[in-house]
Amino acid sequence: MQPFEILDITGDAGIRAFGTDLEELFVNAAAGLYHLIAGSSPVRETRTVELTVTGSSLESLLVSWLNELVFQFDTYGFLGKGIVIREFPSLGAQEEGLRMRAEVRGEDFDQARHGRGLLVKAATYHRLKIEKTGGMYTAEIILDI
Amino acid sequence: MLHEKLRRIDETRIEVPVTYKKGMRVPGLIYVDSRLEQDLEIQAIDQVANVAALPGIVGASLAMPDIHTGYGFTIGGVAAFGLKDGVVSPGGVGYDINCGVRLLRTNLGKQDVTPKLRDLVALLYTDVPSGVGSKGRIRLNQDDERQILIKGAAWAVEHGLGEASDLQYTESGGCLDGADPSLISPKAYERGRAQQGTLGSGNHFLEIQYVDEIYDQKAADALGLFEGQVTVMIHTGSRGFGHQVCTDFLEVMERAAAKYHIDLLDRELASAPFNSPEAQDYLGAMRAAANYAWANRQCIMSWTKEAFMKVFGAGPSSLGMSLVYDVAHNIAKVEEHLVDGKKMRLIVHRKGATRAFPPGHIELPPAYRHLGQPVLIPGDMGRASYVLLGTEKAMQETFGSTCHGAGRVMSRHQAIRKAKGRAIWRELEDRGIIVRSAGRETLAEEMSEAYKDIASVVDIVHRAGISTKVARLRPMGVIKG
Repeated sequence: MQPFEILDITGDAGIRAFGTDLEELFVNAAAGLYHLIAGSSPVRETRTVELTVTGSSLESLLVSWLNELVFQFDTYGFLGKGIVIREFPSLGAQEEGLRMRAEVRGEDFDQARHGRGLLVKAATYHRLKIEKTGGMYTAEIILDI
Repeated sequence: MLHEKLRRIDETRIEVPVTYKKGMRVPGLIYVDSRLEQDLEIQAIDQVANVAALPGIVGASLAMPDIHTGYGFTIGGVAAFGLKDGVVSPGGVGYDINCGVRLLRTNLGKQDVTPKLRDLVALLYTDVPSGVGSKGRIRLNQDDERQILIKGAAWAVEHGLGEASDLQYTESGGCLDGADPSLISPKAYERGRAQQGTLGSGNHFLEIQYVDEIYDQKAADALGLFEGQVTVMIHTGSRGFGHQVCTDFLEVMERAAAKYHIDLLDRELASAPFNSPEAQDYLGAMRAAANYAWANRQCIMSWTKEAFMKVFGAGPSSLGMSLVYDVAHNIAKVEEHLVDGKKMRLIVHRKGATRAFPPGHIELPPAYRHLGQPVLIPGDMGRASYVLLGTEKAMQETFGSTCHGAGRVMSRHQAIRKAKGRAIWRELEDRGIIVRSAGRETLAEEMSEAYKDIASVVDIVHRAGISTKVARLRPMGVIKG
């Protein structure tokens, strides 16, 4: 299984992420985001950040998650790689106030090693979907560039 | 062929009738001719219709010829809502709050600048921070940042970056009243701290240009523009600060839409009644972000002047460097308009659309009041940009609005694929245009072919009479993020 695909959209860019469960789906969506930002240049794991995000639905949790990573990159230059999800809402949980916690290992962005980097403004709700077909989850998310 | 449900009104306008989609309260109106009609995306037409279904919308849901699919609202969209029964929607402003353009004139001719162009571009590239991860030259604490949010461009002027007279040549004086720093999240403060005075990346740019054609001599004279003259255009916005404000408030507005039972045909149209606390809070935060953007363009202009002074070894007055005008093209404002012959205060959303106020309007600086508002339309880095003027017809038809740019026709990936094996910088250099950018991909993504031809966009607004052409500007040196 490939973790994600980049979607080609006039003006912006999108990610189609895959996962055998929701946690993997969220990790792979993040990998897709980092691929858009820094291409396939190697990222070292020298620094760890702990992130907690909330959402009112699974979709909004995914948007909040990616927006948190965008914030970390745009504000602190933090480029992530290894992601471990520490807490994830169980399926069927009350959709009010879903919460996830993750540890992201990575390093500070360095133009010489990571290329110019694509500046993502935000993850959007535009055409956002999370689906389960067979045993596979798919998420599509459009990013404002 | 024109979509069967659409109706061509005249050579520059298409109507999206209320029967196009269930729930539409007013028709849609798209400014395209038969040529640009070919590029019209079905999703963009749908978005014009979705906006027409929002409560309190007045007149029509409008789209300019640079229309393309956005989030909720199209890019190139204009929508005005009544203050009593209408809504406010962050999607109608976009993530880059007060993205806009300013134009500086010089008294230098093209021949004066050409021999020093390479030095000038190199210096501007180092003196004006651009690209991903660039940190501004300004260090702000939270109190400074608050001052910027309240004062806008005047903050920069107070700190020695520019002159007080610049403010009157900036839309809204470079500052919207009603900005409320207490509504800004800690995250937005944090994200904005190091980004004041930075250009950003993507389609944002700083460009050295020359006036290559004048269409309206009298207006050009009044604006201090002449053929062969060198100008500088700055295109940027509120950077990460504004993106964070939009991100924060989309969540608030989504909850508000449910709370106030607003039927949304698209989630990105999340909105709240104008008089609700949620909408008023968004507007207070949006105005703060707009002010951040005006300060940003003011800082960058000041460093641009310094770079010219260094390269030419002359003072700013001997170089004749001064601000022609500064316009916002992603913003929502309360304005007075005539609706069915009656004066009405409306909340006008312009997302990828430029204000184009007519001669005589009170908001114009005295020097331009007889002319109409200067409208600045940035093109792509290889073709041209334009100066136009606002008109009475724009006031009657489009709530005093016109187009904002070229609009993409190619995705970023398509452009990169198409540019494979080509050196875009050299192609441009062969045509006398020197470019500097942090990344090769930026140049590929931003190459001319990736955009609609700006000339055809500007021709439509000119023919439709919602603004009139004054001058065309050709790029000479381009700094891209």
